Amino acid sequence: MSAMKAAVKETAGVHLFGIRHLSPAGAIHLRHFLNEIKPELVLVEGPADATPLIGHITRSGVTPPVAILAYTDQLPIRTLVFPLASYSPEYEAFRWAASNGAEARFIDLPSNIAISMHLGKREAVEEGIKQEAQQHWSNVNERYEKVAELAGEPDYDSYWERYFEHSSASDTYRSAIAAFSEQMRLLNEEEERSSTPLEAASNDIREAYMRSRIAEAIAGGVPADRIVVIAGAYHVSALTTAIAPMSDEEAAALPRRDTKLTLMPYSNYKLSNHSGYGAGNHAPAYFDLAWQCLQADDPGKLAPLYLSKIAGYMRESGTYRSAASVIEGVRLAEALTSLRGGRLPVWRDLRDAAIVCLGHGELSVVSEALVKTDIGTSIGALPEGVSQTPIQDDLNRNLKLLKLDKYKSAVAADLELDLRENRRVKSEEAAFIDLRRSFFLQRLELLGISFVRKKTIRQDGATWAEHWVLQWSPEAEIQIVEATLKGETVELAAAFAIKEALEQSPDLRTAAKLVKQAWECGLPSSMEDARRMLQQLAVDAGAIEQVAGALRELSALIQFGDVRKADTSVLIPLLKQLFLRGTLLLVDSAACNDEAAAAIAAAMIDMHAISQQHYDDVDDERWLKQLELLAYRDDRNAKLSGLAFALLLERNLIKADRLAAEVSRRLSPGTDADTGAGWFEGMSLRNRYVLLSRRQLWEQLDLYIHSLDETQFRRSLVYLRRAFSGFEARDRSMVAELLGELWDVGALEGGDALSQPLSEEEQQTLTELDEFDFGDI
Amino acid sequence: MDQKQSTLRLPAEKLYAHELEALRASDKGERPEGWQLSPRAVLTFIIGGEAGGTAITPKYIGNRRIVEIAIATLLTDRALLLIGEPGTAKSWLSENLTAAIHGDSSKVIQGTAGTSEEQIRYSWNYAMLLANGPSNEAIVKSPIYRAMETGGIARFEEISRCASEVQDALISILSEKTITVPELGSEVPANRGFSIIATANTRDRGVNDMSAALKRRFNIVVLPAPADLDTEIDIVRKRVSEIAANYRLGEALPTEAAVHKVVTIFRELRAGMTLDGKEKIKQPSGAISTAEAISLLVNSMALASSFGGGSVSDEDLAAGLLGAVVKDDGKDDAVWKEYLENVMKKRGSEWRGLYNACRELSS
Repeated sequence: MSAMKAAVKETAGVHLFGIRHLSPAGAIHLRHFLNEIKPELVLVEGPADATPLIGHITRSGVTPPVAILAYTDQLPIRTLVFPLASYSPEYEAFRWAASNGAEARFIDLPSNIAISMHLGKREAVEEGIKQEAQQHWSNVNERYEKVAELAGEPDYDSYWERYFEHSSASDTYRSAIAAFSEQMRLLNEEEERSSTPLEAASNDIREAYMRSRIAEAIAGGVPADRIVVIAGAYHVSALTTAIAPMSDEEAAALPRRDTKLTLMPYSNYKLSNHSGYGAGNHAPAYFDLAWQCLQADDPGKLAPLYLSKIAGYMRESGTYRSAASVIEGVRLAEALTSLRGGRLPVWRDLRDAAIVCLGHGELSVVSEALVKTDIGTSIGALPEGVSQTPIQDDLNRNLKLLKLDKYKSAVAADLELDLRENRRVKSEEAAFIDLRRSFFLQRLELLGISFVRKKTIRQDGATWAEHWVLQWSPEAEIQIVEATLKGETVELAAAFAIKEALEQSPDLRTAAKLVKQAWECGLPSSMEDARRMLQQLAVDAGAIEQVAGALRELSALIQFGDVRKADTSVLIPLLKQLFLRGTLLLVDSAACNDEAAAAIAAAMIDMHAISQQHYDDVDDERWLKQLELLAYRDDRNAKLSGLAFALLLERNLIKADRLAAEVSRRLSPGTDADTGAGWFEGMSLRNRYVLLSRRQLWEQLDLYIHSLDETQFRRSLVYLRRAFSGFEARDRSMVAELLGELWDVGALEGGDALSQPLSEEEQQTLTELDEFDFGDI
Repeated sequence: MDQKQSTLRLPAEKLYAHELEALRASDKGERPEGWQLSPRAVLTFIIGGEAGGTAITPKYIGNRRIVEIAIATLLTDRALLLIGEPGTAKSWLSENLTAAIHGDSSKVIQGTAGTSEEQIRYSWNYAMLLANGPSNEAIVKSPIYRAMETGGIARFEEISRCASEVQDALISILSEKTITVPELGSEVPANRGFSIIATANTRDRGVNDMSAALKRRFNIVVLPAPADLDTEIDIVRKRVSEIAANYRLGEALPTEAAVHKVVTIFRELRAGMTLDGKEKIKQPSGAISTAEAISLLVNSMALASSFGGGSVSDEDLAAGLLGAVVKDDGKDDAVWKEYLENVMKKRGSEWRGLYNACRELSS
């Protein structure tokens, strides 16, 4: 206990309150502490230059979560985000100050220095994360997990919640968190200095700066015991007078980058994604509930509230769960807590209870309701009159950079782009300006911003020309602001949009389209993500038409990838895999009726084309093998078997005697007439010259027709007429000539005779045939 | 000791009698009514640890939380239903929990298509019934009946294999916590500590689906496949060496690399994804459980010792793998071939031998 008391340091009488960012218990205990001390001045860890924004944050109409956003106003844009949830202790401090007439100030390094230092650190990291540093971070993590383990908790978050969030006495909370952080810091500090010197130095600088701000406040005339300092618990032990504050000269020597500050609405989803930022990350909506219960001074209400919310969401989506199940859930969570000697269930207990009692043991049943209850869809809101969002700035800067600013008008204007290199200009930048414009416009279009509209134009195989229509409107402006939530720049937002689309588990064709969109937008890493998704989908693809569709897109990308200066060769393995998948699907898919056969025939023709265009890459041999298998199978759709045969014939892979044998087998009197003729119809779907140049084929056909009796002939006539109806007049006359030769009446004479228009009698017979009911067709 | 050595399989409370004794001696926690040990001691018994100087072997490796939830369920006097794929240690966990909490894991009903309601409630000794009419002596008590009398835990194995109307006999037992014997005009109330641990197989789903009313009376805990590669390797190695010792297979145990390969293949096929998460793969139709990996390795050892060169070779593994993966001919065969070509082939030289062996067998 004495160690705990000692840990709450006094700095010349200033009150220190260590917090964990995003902690409801921290916020409520801080409120009690402030009510007790009633300070004149509240100093909060956060960028000092953002102090003027505090007034905005506490204005009515502000709905958390919101964030203070600092961004450099020069390329490349770098940002620092300082999010605040309703249950952030910092936010509570501002609210308290505003309603009690106290002044609130930020005391951490101003954003221009913070960003610059952050960049310095990052560059050092980018040079190669040293093994030592990584080791250090994992050691630190291990130590925290070790604490949890010693307390018998499954993870540190549960430990924190059980031992700190559930602490009900403000004094104990304040001294316990200070003692805990000081001890942890002592454990980690030495290693930090040797392994990650930059990190340690940046902490030193920040703390020295904070000390100087505190000293300045005291010098400014506020009595020290009327000041409360609120900082991350980690820093509290360093905010003593025992260490010298930063001098003005030292502060002036720090590196700087010009920055702007703005407020932006934040979302629970983003809070839950934000890494390395205090408690309550994974479940902001849950901690929001906890905060409501704490404010109502009824922490025991959280368990039933949380579980009935989940049950409520489940009922909404049609899965009925009774109140009895909720009661059982609360009891189970309490039993789980009692196993550890806890007072109240923690999030983990409640979640597990929800899975067992509401999900009947299965996470998948409750997962949607859990996500809604844990994270939720709520986003923050800011009233009008707050500064511009970074994406608006980014858009304006891009327009200027790409010499497009004159298009920002209410009158629609056309813009034609030629993506190829312009060889008449000197700089590379100018040579590819149209390409860069295209990337930019494609991204805006992807984001659904009505400022740009693409006109489709016909091109023969080339992909270098684009035609855009640009028109500015207030709606477009709003859409851009909305895109802020997707990312801070147009580029990031577009990448996020693709990521979102990918997460909605698209089908094979959509995924292939996304690969193409990422390529059009010049987002190589998104393209890689889309490619990976496509690969995953490829495994399960069961429809050959889908596979062929995706293959078509991929094939085009691989061939024309360099128009947009993108390396599309990474798609080749995928092409291979998809092609293999399609190949393996072929024989099974071909067991279908005539209606479905049309689509599969188109897919086969596409795949066959790809097998030749990408001969080096795909497994052509296997494809041919499967074609061969299909060609000789009798239990598949005859038309498709015929097509497979034609494709093989075209590749000259069928020897003359094999051809004769197969044709006579297919067209033998034993086979029923419609199958035989259907097969021939499939054959004729392909290049007819191949057929016309093979004399045996016609000999066999001739023999076949001779062998048919009257009824059989009438039947097969229906199919054969259909097959030949696709032949052009020129082809038909060639067939006629061939037959003339066969019958030894001379090619010309035979051709003439066959090309005679039908007599009325013959016509009559055919019409009857068309109307004749064979009984089973 | 003699009995211990010659009996093929001892119940958990006998097999681990010294561990339970040590836990009881050092147990300081509060024991719920009807329990032999405190909840924490039960947890230690299942997940392993140490009690008063005696090492407690882990009985269920890998997922402590599941065990906690199971114990907490029994604490709230709810019945517990363990479900999972075949080979996820459902019965093993149920037996050990019962042994630790109640000290007697023998009150078991084995659910089959032929299980009748009498086996769940009670039946009669007909000779006595005919001679003396209904009396307490003439009742043949079911395991559940006995557990209610003593305040203990009854086990119900493979509950979903019983007909639904038979399952529903449990509803009144679980909600009223009594069995009525109308012939005697009496009622048997359950003593404190009474509960039921049932197990069911997810592969049986749809055979005799449990009614919603019955489901609601159970807390359902799904036993997952082991969470990560290392855990699964640990489990497999532990069990393989135990079984090998039992059957006195004199062979050298499979090498670490062999276990690693088998577990990797099993995990990937089960998850439908390569371990690095970069590539999706097709899943075979059958269950690919840890228990199956264990028996595969044991079989390979037997193969190697009886017909092979003495140590487990790639060929021995390949034979087992093919049998484990390809259960439903046509489909699974394609899955296995795709896996061989798309994943295993690209794995480099260490996998080459196994790949070749598998390929030879499956083509």
